[in-house]
Amino acid sequence: MNIMQVAGKNLRRRKVRTAFTIIGIALSSWVLVTLLGFNKGYEASLNKDIDDMGFQIVLTAKGCPYEAATLMLKGGTGLRYMEEDVVKSVYEAGEVDEVTPMLMHAEFDPNKGENGGTTVYLGIDPATYPHMKPYNQFAQGDWFKSGEKEKEVVLGYEAAELEQREAGDTFLIGEDEYLVTGVLKRSGTQDDGMIFLPLSTAQSVFDKSGKITMLGIKLDKDADIPAFEEELYKLPDVQVVSMAQVKNTIMSLVTSAKVIVMSIVVIAFAIAMFGVLNTVLMSVFERYQEIGILKSMGAMPFDIFKMVLFETTILCGIGGIIGVSFAILISGASEFAIRYFIPFAPTGGLIQISTNLAVISVAAIIAIGLLGGIYPALRAAAIRPLSAIRSEE
Amino acid sequence: MKALVLSVLLLFSCNAFAAVGCDLNDPDRDVKRFFPSSTGYKTDYLSISKEGGAPLLKEVEAVLGDSFQGTYETIDVPYTVYTVFEGKEISGYIHGINQKGKFGGLQVFLIFTPEGGVRNFYYQKLTSKFAKDLRSEEFANQFKGLALSDFSDYDPKTGEGGSEKVKAVKFPSSDDSTDFLATLRAVKKNMILMDIFVFQRRNEK
Repeated sequence: MNIMQVAGKNLRRRKVRTAFTIIGIALSSWVLVTLLGFNKGYEASLNKDIDDMGFQIVLTAKGCPYEAATLMLKGGTGLRYMEEDVVKSVYEAGEVDEVTPMLMHAEFDPNKGENGGTTVYLGIDPATYPHMKPYNQFAQGDWFKSGEKEKEVVLGYEAAELEQREAGDTFLIGEDEYLVTGVLKRSGTQDDGMIFLPLSTAQSVFDKSGKITMLGIKLDKDADIPAFEEELYKLPDVQVVSMAQVKNTIMSLVTSAKVIVMSIVVIAFAIAMFGVLNTVLMSVFERYQEIGILKSMGAMPFDIFKMVLFETTILCGIGGIIGVSFAILISGASEFAIRYFIPFAPTGGLIQISTNLAVISVAAIIAIGLLGGIYPALRAAAIRPLSAIRSEE
Repeated sequence: MKALVLSVLLLFSCNAFAAVGCDLNDPDRDVKRFFPSSTGYKTDYLSISKEGGAPLLKEVEAVLGDSFQGTYETIDVPYTVYTVFEGKEISGYIHGINQKGKFGGLQVFLIFTPEGGVRNFYYQKLTSKFAKDLRSEEFANQFKGLALSDFSDYDPKTGEGGSEKVKAVKFPSSDDSTDFLATLRAVKKNMILMDIFVFQRRNEK
């Protein structure tokens, strides 16, 4: 029988102690993996939410109201236009991921009801706008079917309600009939009241060829937004409307959350390590005489050291695997609990436990366990055979 | 700032559905316009779902002669009834409904006498190729004096039936009668709802 088999037998002999030790390690592993998974998932989900906010910067002509509400209040006046060429200049400013040009137009129709009414249209680039506003989901239909220059419209939720339009219906702009290809779900933004049509169609219908009113800009993930804004201000007659402050605040929230989570992870590690140290040390003291007999039978101090560390490895390995498996199994319930208790949780998976994270966590638990097992192993290796045999249990 | 951020983020996850109602754009101004001697008004928010549920919907559809259709004509649509007062006396009611037209939505408002007759008619909003004709005073005047009984055998699906007064209502344009028929359906539906929400209840009291 080699020293490894002796270690295995030792654990099997004290089944209850072994089980409780494994449960303790498993609980620590569960907490550890869940927190690390949360750390990863929370950041990824928030990043996705930021991405889903679409463009972070809106570039408009100086003095131009960029909100539909303002435009309505002003009776559809006050729009100023930029040349479409500004897209090229913005790309030259660097750090740009994507841009989407838009043409907003407000039309007063004297026959639209008793006192007439103003309708706000937004000409968009079908190639770039939809995926820069990924939060826009469809209640019915989809974006334009035929692409550019077609007589098609997509209606925001409230615009569709007001006009009682559904996908496939006819919609009137001036005297021309357009096909409603889709109706958006409510987004809570000004898009709800908007009537979208292809940019080139809008430019042609509203006689604004080559003009745009806004340019939505999405920057690279790590772009320096304030520095980029300064670059934009070098362009003539533009104003910059930025979401940088919102993004910075979100990122500071993420950083704070990470610090808190990592602090708890360190505590979980410490609990696991001292738990193992305590359990194995107690086990060594209980087997004081037994270790003395092993040594008197020819076991070397290093053999005893290896035996104790091997026991520790088995305990931590089994505990770690159980804990990680448990964490994966109940991650849905953990996520539900987190969402219940915290006031705001981003959309998407809050706890993301990847294979890498699971493997690294088990390895870390074993490493921490081994660290905790070194002292008891050294104590065991240092036992003198004769004094151990002579001692009373 | 954090509250702002949370609000901004929450906006992106809000997908609630709600049925659309039909309110006066400017109640103070509009009430005074139709009832110059009014001293005040009260607003009641009613819906078929709250007032009687599915059985009431069936009743409304049976009287209307057509079923509720599409995404926006549903059992939970809120209806706003404006009761106009002159001193303590009721001088009339204002009630509007949304109706799907061929080219867009029609908001058809009826101004009622205390007895339930139509005192006035107007579109608060309409989108139609024939909007100019539909919103003319001549067209609106044709609805004055109509009552629900005039529509008792009017079929909104075919546009046939109705009393001589209803048959006398003519569409100024002969090109496409879709929005004209939609308007007549809206008028009948408006009267049915007012009859159930207001006039029948008042008589029960």
